[in-house]
Amino acid sequence: MSPESILPLRSAALVRHNTTLLLREPGPVLSRLLMPLVAVLVFTPLDRAALAAEGRASGTVQAVTGVLVLFSMLALSVAGSGILTERFWHTWDRLRSTPARSTELLAGKVIPALVVLLVQQALVLLLGVTVLGMPADHCGLLAIAVATWSVTLLCVGAALGTLLRSQAEFSAVQDISSFLFTSLGGALVPLADLPGWAQRIAPASPAYWAMSALHAALAGQLGQLARAEGVLLGLAVLAGALAAWRMNRGWGRSQLI
Amino acid sequence: MLIAGGLVKRYQGRAALAGFDLTVAPGEIVGLVGHNGAGKTTFVEVVTGLVRPDAGTVTVAGVDALAQPRAARRLLGVAPQEQALYPPITVRQHLRLFGSLAGIRGRALRTAIESTAAELHLLDVLDRPVGLLSGGQRRRAQAACALLPDPPVLLLDEPTVGADPLTRSALLDAVAARAAAGAAIVYTTHYLPELAELKATLAVAAGGRVIARGRQEDLLAGLPGEVRATFAGGVPGVLRDRGTVTGGTLIVASHDPAATLAELVSTGVAPESVDISRPGLDELYRALARTEQPVLSDESAVRRVA
Repeated sequence: MSPESILPLRSAALVRHNTTLLLREPGPVLSRLLMPLVAVLVFTPLDRAALAAEGRASGTVQAVTGVLVLFSMLALSVAGSGILTERFWHTWDRLRSTPARSTELLAGKVIPALVVLLVQQALVLLLGVTVLGMPADHCGLLAIAVATWSVTLLCVGAALGTLLRSQAEFSAVQDISSFLFTSLGGALVPLADLPGWAQRIAPASPAYWAMSALHAALAGQLGQLARAEGVLLGLAVLAGALAAWRMNRGWGRSQLI
Repeated sequence: MLIAGGLVKRYQGRAALAGFDLTVAPGEIVGLVGHNGAGKTTFVEVVTGLVRPDAGTVTVAGVDALAQPRAARRLLGVAPQEQALYPPITVRQHLRLFGSLAGIRGRALRTAIESTAAELHLLDVLDRPVGLLSGGQRRRAQAACALLPDPPVLLLDEPTVGADPLTRSALLDAVAARAAAGAAIVYTTHYLPELAELKATLAVAAGGRVIARGRQEDLLAGLPGEVRATFAGGVPGVLRDRGTVTGGTLIVASHDPAATLAELVSTGVAPESVDISRPGLDELYRALARTEQPVLSDESAVRRVA
């Protein structure tokens, strides 16, 4: 069998293997799927009240997209913590000593997490459209926005998993960045209600561009969507390349605490 | 066949490898021994492509492992020193993963899983999560992942550390079978008897290079063993200058333990117990430490360290 014909087999084996690992402990996956559904029901009346002047639909869009972005940040831990755990188990280096490419190993880790993330966001949007009456006339654009944001998050998570040295360090970075990015990005509170200084630095947050992409996709604004997608894809490529580079370099025997 | 030449690897100015040369022929088992920090594990990491050397060459079954690391890894089976297993998944799932990554599929994979598991006495625990296995079973599972694809070159880094007799015996049988089938095997260990059982040649590493290479009996020939005689009331004064005294025990280095023992008994003081040991790694290390030049008992098989 030629190496090229082995490639799909290897990739499929890695995806199957990582799916098995993910489903061995289904609790975190289930909570990530269910928690945002409860949250969106709680946030919708609050956001409708906050954005009453702009109409009922604006409040619903803010609640649904805000919760979607807020809870999707948990994906950082699915990819990042998964990689970090494998480094502790020494299995990451064991996999690196097989013929699999670094990109295959990363893809094998990220694809099952991507599926969970896409299902999570699809459920939130479905609830928003069917139960809360959120207008969604451009499903194709919405799918692009959701997919790009998911890939960006997983690439950033993978980069953190390869760069950080302990689960405690990872938790601290994840907690702080998730809170900062979602609050600055307008996911927790509508952007217009943030203080002036926060509004000025908001574009530094990836969540700002995720919110921007989702709002543009819902409104069918192609220009705004393209800009936000460009920023998110740029970040994804940067983080993905960083993760692959760090992985190729290896960690030796003293890089974990 | 595995050929490593002039490998150098430095970490923050400290040389982990300082001109490491090793050649392993098909069907040969090389026992790579040496103190901790001698460079054994770094050598394994370089060959597997986990660590890039600063200088040197590595060829795995004819493939340049530094220029084509993935092609070389297709020809390698690796059991690392540290346990590298997934606690939540079963032994069968491990074997399926590493078999698939090596390009084995379908019925051939299922057959390979069953036969490797049988060889390493893992059939009973094949569907048990690794986290629930004993230490010895985990060692065997780790080795099974390396052996399953039947690669032409095997790197086994201290595979029997902490292993029970069953595990050790199963591993040694499996390794010997692979060598008999033509695999070139590097086996790092601290246990000389294992290497004798495997009929392995020795490569002694120190300071990041191979300082001695050859057959075990040749390298140990001429080295003294030890006679340890313990006396009930302490070592008699008449014998104290014959060797080293530790508590009530007299330790005498000897090339002819039987004659030494006879000589001790002839003084008229009978020891309470006597322990005679053959020369081992410690004696070899001490002898090599006194030697400036590398000791190569088989010049045709080994290139001398530059």
